[in-house]
Amino acid sequence: MPKVKMKRTGFVIDMTPLVDITFLLLTFFMFTAKFKSEADNEQKFQIKRPKTQADTAKLPEKDVAVIRIAIDSTRPSDTAYYFSVANPELWMTIKDDPSLAEWLTPERKEASKAMIKTVKIEELETLISVSRTQSKAFNITKKTAAEKAQLRFAIDADKRIRFKWIADAMEAMRRTRQTQFNFVTDKQQ
Amino acid sequence: MAGGGELGGGGGRPKRGKHSKRKSKKRLGFRIDMTPLVDITFLLLTFFMFVTTLTTPQVMDMAVPPETEDVEVAESKLFTVRVREDGKIFYNQAMDIPQPIILKELRTKAIKSNLDMKNELITVLKIDENVAYETVVNILDELNLAEIKITQALQAEKLNRERKFTISPMTDKDKEEIKGL
Repeated sequence: MPKVKMKRTGFVIDMTPLVDITFLLLTFFMFTAKFKSEADNEQKFQIKRPKTQADTAKLPEKDVAVIRIAIDSTRPSDTAYYFSVANPELWMTIKDDPSLAEWLTPERKEASKAMIKTVKIEELETLISVSRTQSKAFNITKKTAAEKAQLRFAIDADKRIRFKWIADAMEAMRRTRQTQFNFVTDKQQ
Repeated sequence: MAGGGELGGGGGRPKRGKHSKRKSKKRLGFRIDMTPLVDITFLLLTFFMFVTTLTTPQVMDMAVPPETEDVEVAESKLFTVRVREDGKIFYNQAMDIPQPIILKELRTKAIKSNLDMKNELITVLKIDENVAYETVVNILDELNLAEIKITQALQAEKLNRERKFTISPMTDKDKEEIKGL
């Protein structure tokens, strides 16, 4: 009896497990995805943070004012301090503070909602003290349980920057009696 | 190819009789072409995978002394770490001559010195203005890692750790001391 030759014209793979896993991964990534905030999008620079090994806390998402010091990509020699407050509503009250009226030029007002380029160290000092007092007032008026949630300060600097910039920012903190603050780093994998 | 082969295939039984107008097909099962679904799912998956940032930035605690009049401390209790312009690290305890040290050894040195003096030792960090910020953070990281070991060792002796640490500006005198080393 001659062998019956079966001609395979195609084959079928059961894709169901693949689809299962793919959907699982998709939902996982969809839920964990955190999109860049508006302030980050406006950021024209990139900060390469230094890496640390020691276990430290995570950068809070709210009630934090970050002073960014980055190497300007367009002009390497020109570096400036950038000041941002994580909570947009808090920034609105800070911005309206009368002591900032002179400093807040229309250009600065227009530039961004929460990312302000400060050039001089004295301006940084004013911003630190104003945002601290405003955040206290803000938390009282809100009457939420946020009395504990005091505004924290963090310095987020590029690792290649000269220490002088950090030292000056620290000096500004010291002069405004903000003795506690944080350095933003990346965790070494 | 999954299910794709079924397109156009009838799969049903032939008509029952000549006069039968009913087209009763009994479906025993059906296949859906899953290929477009998988395509889109993979597309979304890759999109979210690229967009998501799993690493959130960390923070390192830092404190500066308040602006008060200078506090006098005994020099014998000082553990000074100086960082020169070229990134070289020097340490000295009390009045000793500064010794060069590499970053990796700093942790063990800090642990040893601190445990010798219990809680008395004050660590002072003096950094040249031209040193890269990365070097500073690396040193702080080493000292933080040392701190874990120190706290553990002191707890074994039923002591509470009181960390005494400060960053102070580098004076010309400091620069002079580590110049030729």
